[in-house]
Formats: sequence, structure tokens, C-alpha cells
Amino acid sequence: MQAALISPRPGSLPINANLKLSDIDRLAVLDDPAEWRLFSQPQGDASSPVAGLWESQVVVQGMHCAACALALERSLLGLAGVVATQVSAASGRASVVWSAALTRPSVWLTGPLALGYVLTPASSAQAPAHDRQQSRLVLWRWLVAGFCMMQVMMYAVPGYLAAPGDITPDIEQLLRWASMLLSLPVVLFSCTPFFSNALRDLRKRSISMDLPVALGIIITFAVSSAATIAPQGWWGHEVYFDSLTMFVFFLLTGRWLEQRLRDRTAGSLGKLMQRLPDSVERELPDGRCERVAVRHLLPGDLVRVLPGEAFPADGQIVSGDTHVDEALLTGESRPLARATGAAVLAGSHNLSSAVRVRVDQTGPATRYSQIVALMERASVDKPRLALLADRVARPFLWFVLLAAGGAAAFWWSTDPARALMAAVAVLVVTCPCALSLATPTAMLTSAGALARRGLLVRRLQALETLGQIDTVIFDKTGTLTEDRMGLQLVTTRPGVSTAQALQLARALAQYSLHPVSIALVIAAGELPVDGSDESVTPAVVDVTEIPGMGLQGTFLASPVPACSGRLRLGSARFCGMEPSASDTLQVCLADDSGWIARFDLDEVVRADAMAAVAAFRAADVDVKMLSGDRDAAARRVAARVGILDVQGDCTPQEKLLRLQALQQRGHKVLMIGDGLNDGPVLAIAHVSVAVGKAVPLAQAQADLVMPGGQLLTLPAMLTQAIRTMRVVRQNLWWAAGYNAVCVPLALAGWLPAWLAGLGMAFSSLLVIGNAARLSRMPRMPEVH
Amino acid sequence: MDVLFLLIPLSVLLAFAVLGVLAWAVWAGQFEDMEGEGQRILDDAPAKVAPAPRGDGGA
Repeated sequence: MQAALISPRPGSLPINANLKLSDIDRLAVLDDPAEWRLFSQPQGDASSPVAGLWESQVVVQGMHCAACALALERSLLGLAGVVATQVSAASGRASVVWSAALTRPSVWLTGPLALGYVLTPASSAQAPAHDRQQSRLVLWRWLVAGFCMMQVMMYAVPGYLAAPGDITPDIEQLLRWASMLLSLPVVLFSCTPFFSNALRDLRKRSISMDLPVALGIIITFAVSSAATIAPQGWWGHEVYFDSLTMFVFFLLTGRWLEQRLRDRTAGSLGKLMQRLPDSVERELPDGRCERVAVRHLLPGDLVRVLPGEAFPADGQIVSGDTHVDEALLTGESRPLARATGAAVLAGSHNLSSAVRVRVDQTGPATRYSQIVALMERASVDKPRLALLADRVARPFLWFVLLAAGGAAAFWWSTDPARALMAAVAVLVVTCPCALSLATPTAMLTSAGALARRGLLVRRLQALETLGQIDTVIFDKTGTLTEDRMGLQLVTTRPGVSTAQALQLARALAQYSLHPVSIALVIAAGELPVDGSDESVTPAVVDVTEIPGMGLQGTFLASPVPACSGRLRLGSARFCGMEPSASDTLQVCLADDSGWIARFDLDEVVRADAMAAVAAFRAADVDVKMLSGDRDAAARRVAARVGILDVQGDCTPQEKLLRLQALQQRGHKVLMIGDGLNDGPVLAIAHVSVAVGKAVPLAQAQADLVMPGGQLLTLPAMLTQAIRTMRVVRQNLWWAAGYNAVCVPLALAGWLPAWLAGLGMAFSSLLVIGNAARLSRMPRMPEVH
Repeated sequence: MDVLFLLIPLSVLLAFAVLGVLAWAVWAGQFEDMEGEGQRILDDAPAKVAPAPRGDGGA
């Protein structure tokens, strides 16, 4: 029973994370054909969509291996009306083709439930198809470059190995033609992203890595082709097809790996974003209720919200008293009492009892939507630090272009053939391969190492920015603290032991869903079980919950001699006592004769929070806390984890302003948060981490996501980022040194094409090897 | 060595043919699920319906 009760912060999970039988009713909302288009596309003839075939995208939970995928596929195909299905274990998704004439989504979605697979409609039908197209295109570009590279290399090797005169000129010419034909698909197809990026840069009048890459590709290909078609021309007779294709292949390999990394993190996020359309019970004028999708709600509607449900819109309670959890919207950690007439916010959760709510604001007018809008605006304002590679590369790029031009000009007057050869040699030898690989390889390797530690990197650039961070800002609720309350202190009247008091409290608390009750039940469950009287929970009958006050019940037989009659658990006033001044949440236990015990509850601070804060400080990073919770509560938690700079009572707007003020003073800020109210600051911080079961919107704005919530990984992440940047710098130095040696040689015209190509390949391999060192992260100290 | 005049152009044609096969493989989704198909052969129950919609979303 307890397991079912303990559901801390319901909003942090997708609504259907554990689809219960009661939820099957809610799936009926999906049988409205208007909802189908959200997760399905009609197949073939669209003229009669209600009778035709639909292909739906669903997310599958509970699938662990490829064999599961087969079992699920079979179970779906066994249902009437399901025409075809394809399940992918790797992505946790399935597409189902079903006939609207024979079945309804609510039927086939619940079909595999018996096998333990929970199906949820994916939020968008088009996105997966589009993503799939994209990842196939990247793979295809990479395969074309790789395959053509191998083949071109085969044509090039004889030229390197054969002694002069071994290959007759006509055979050599044939090999060149073959190389050129096979380089064509690489240049025309695989390289298009470089060309389009370079064009975009030119239009923006900026210079980035893609411009010399594109220039190098075009010039190398043009010169080589000219030398193939007319070897006697002034452009010389050297060809560079092998260097060209290999260069493109290396670059595309980096991009393909990066794409896969993004797909993987996007995949795990995508799963969280899936949800049923939120539905709600609306009262009809005749008093009956109907379940409708939230987006059909209008201001003035009366809706019934059950405990555990989220409020669908901003509104006013018409009848009923309850507690609400607004932690995700405001950061307020305590459950708040809301009586008849009080206002409730969309997105907050109803905790204790069913209420009727009159809808005032829906959709974009709600507080929830305003925070989302604030977040979207903030993400546009995110300060972007200039990237190291681009900073270093820009002067270098100009230098290379000028040097190539200068070399050509110098030789032109004496020997036009040599002029172009020298220019091309400069471009090939500097062909900024090592330079352009320096950053991505190091960052990809580092991101892989961090992923094994439970930190998913969503934006590679964040690693570079991380190395410059000097201020860390924590959110409190859900980030430094866990999602539940914990028992801190028990005070009892003489003659009653702590264990007895807890058992008495549990007798009542186990009937309630209130977070305080849950905390007391957990605390009582941790008592030693030894068979004595103190480990037995007494039986209590006639338990009633009075919202906003507490619980009461009557003993069958009092286990504690000194207690008798009616037992009450709740606020001090409810138990007939004067409330004492305290910051913590206090609950009292009383019987007919008066006070028995008082329980002080507080948030549970994560075990490694203190060590993480200390580690940040040891790394010379300023640690601050911005919380939407009450200032006193924020200060208490801050004192326990060792944060000195605290600010409570922050609205999302205030958090945003404070962060911007810090940034204007030149600080580089890392923001760590989880709630919707953190969304705007996560969006605008230099780097942001979404912790734990952060709301999907917060995750979508974060640069890194940490599902496990081990805070100690964060300082390790900073160290890793600094190491990464050190490797990047080494790589850049290597590339620069290599160029410093080779460019003069090429300028003088002493560097044959094959040596230029070899040097380029070698320097690229060295850069990749150096980056591979990053895959090992230093061990973290254990906490516990 | 005259045969090289035939073999080299042939190798180019062959390379393009292989590219064609790779193109089919990529766009037919052969690289999408690297594990599932290997498991399928171990599956005792005969498939009732041809596993469907391959291709790009089927829409």
C-alpha cells in the first residue's frame, strides 16, 4: 500500500509513467478523431479518414531488448484492426498501422498492457519521420565519402609505390580519370553541407572553418580535374583526389558521430516528452460529467479535479478544500492549503481531495504558458562565447589564404605552372583538417565519457564554455533537495517513546496522501522491527481527513497506556495547542488528554550536495542559490550544504534579472535546476544542467541533462571540461606547428603533393589519438 | 597490361553499382535496427503478417 502512496512530485513524471487501470478511461479521449492527427497520419486515400488506415507513432515503455520488440510486435498484430506494425527496440518507438473502421486507439494502445508494455502516443507524428530522414541523409553522405575514398585510394597507391617509368602515361591517365569520376559524388553530394555553411557565412560576412574547407575542396578538385583533363595546361599535372576524399571522409566522420550523440540524447528526452493529451472532467449543465481534452476547455467551465491530477487551467475553487503542490511553478517546497474561493494555477498538482474549479484562464493566458513564453524569449538572448577554434582559426585562415595568393603571385611571373602548384600545395598541406578536427574530436570523446557518468551533453559547445565558468547557481527544490519531506526531529511528552509516537502517527498517516503523511509513514517504516510492542502499528478506526487541518481517528485498543480516546494528527491548532514559532514544518499528535508528540519535518538534502558545493569552492568557483521557495527555507538548506550567497522568494522573472545582472558584470554562469520556474534561467545561463526528473521543458532548454541527479558529477564535469579544452589547445598548437613547418616548404614549391597528403593524414591521426585520452575520466570520491 | 584498359573502367562501374546498393540499404532502413533482425531468426512463432511499413514513414 505504501508503494502506491509514495508518489513525490507527481508533475515530475510524464502523466502516464505508470499507466494504471484508472487511466484507461482517460485514453478514451484519444478516440476523438480530432486527436488522431496529433500522433498519426492518414494513409493513402485521405478522403475518408475516419474509415481508412492510419499510421500512428507511439512510445513504448518496458521494452528492454530486441526480443521484447518481437513479442510486442506479435501482440499488436494479434489485435483486431491492427494491420501492420514495426517496433524498434533501440529507439523505444513503434509505428502502428490500424484501420479506423475496425478499432480505436484506446483499444490497441491498451492491448499489450497485459504483457507489461506501456504504449503512449508520441506527441508529434511528423517529427520522427523527419528525424529519420535527417539521420539517413547524414549516414548516406558519410558512406558515399567513405566508399569513394577507399576506391580513390586504390587508384592512387600505384602512383606512390611504382618506380618512375613503371606506369605508362596512358595507364596513369586512366587512373586519374577513374579517380576523378569517383571524387565527383563526394564533391557534389557529400560536401554540400560545407558549401551551404560557407555560403551562409559569406552572406553573414563572417569567416568560419567551413569557408576554407569549402574553398580547399573546390580549388583542389578544380586543379586536379584540370590536370586530368588537360595535363599540359599551365595549372600543372599533379592530382590530389586521394587527399581530397580522405579529408572529406574524416570531417564527415566527426559530424556523423556528433549527429549520433545528439540523436541518442534527443531519444531519451523525446521519450519524456510524450504524454497523453491532458484530459479533465467537465461538468455539464445538468450536473453530469464528461471527460474532455484540456484544449477544449473554455473560461467559465466547471471542472472536477481529483487528487493526484494537475489543474488544467488557472481558476478558482468553487467547492472543496485541498492542498496543492506548486513546486514546479514557483519552487515552493511545502504543500499549500487552498480553500473554497482560492485561486489555483495550471500545472500545479492537487494533492489531497477532489475540488470543483471554475476556469478563469486557459491556454496562453495561464501562468504556466507565461513562464514558457519567458523561457523562449530568454533562449534567444543566450550569450554565445566565441569558440576557441574559430578565434584561433580566423587569423590563421586569413594567413593561409594570403600565403597561397602570395605564393601564386610570386611564382606567376617566372613559371605559371609552378605558381598554381605552390598555391595548391599550401591549401592542401594546410587544408585545415587537423585544425577543424581538433575541437570536435576532443569534445565528442569527452561527451562520451560524461555520458557514462550519467551526464548527457546536449550541446557540444557547452563543454568549451564550461571551462570558463566562475559562478555556479543552484536551484533549491528538486535540485539540492530531493523531492520529498524527511523527518528531522521528534519531541514527545514524558512516558512516550519516539518509536511509540511514530507508530501512533503512522496509524493515522497511512490513510492520507498528504506529503507530510507520506514522510511520517516512511520514517515509521525505518524503525527496527523486533516484535516488541513498539514495532506494532496500532489499529485505528473512523479515520477522517479534515483538509487544511489534519487527520483524526479512534483507537480500537490503545497500545500506549497513557493514551486514550480520539487520536489527532495535524497542525498545532488542530491538536488544541499554540503554534510555536519555527521555520520548519511542524506536525502535532494529540489524544483526548492533550499533546503526545511533535514532529519537525524538513526537505531532504541530497546526500552529495555538500561535497559537491565544497568541490566547486575548491575549484575556485563561486556558489550561489536562487530559489523560488520562502527565503527562510532557502537559507536553511543553504546553511546545511554550505552555500553563503542565498536568495529566496524569487519569481522566474526575478531569477532571470539576477542572472542577467551577474552576466553583465562579466561572470560566466553555470545554472543547475529542474523546475519549470527554472526554465528561463536555464535558457539564458552560459551553461545549464537540468537535474533529476526535471520537467521536459526545463530539459529542452538545458545544455546538459543529468537524469540520475548525482550532484558530485558536476564538479567532475568542470574538471573534465577544463581537461578537454587543454587537449583542444594542444591539438590546435600541433596543427599550428605543423603548418609553420610545412607552409614555407609548400611556398617554396619543395613539397610534393603526396608528401602534403601524407602529412595531412598523419597530423589528423595524431589529433584523434590525443583526443582519445579524454575517454578516461579521473575517479570521483565516493559519498555515503 | 592491356587488360587494365578494361579493368579500370569496369572497377569504376562496379564502384557505382556498390554505391547504388548502399543507397538502397540506407534508404530502406537496413541500418536502423541492427539487433532486432538477428533476434527474429531465433523466434519460433511464424510471423503472421509481413512486418510492415518500411521506407520513410510510409506516409
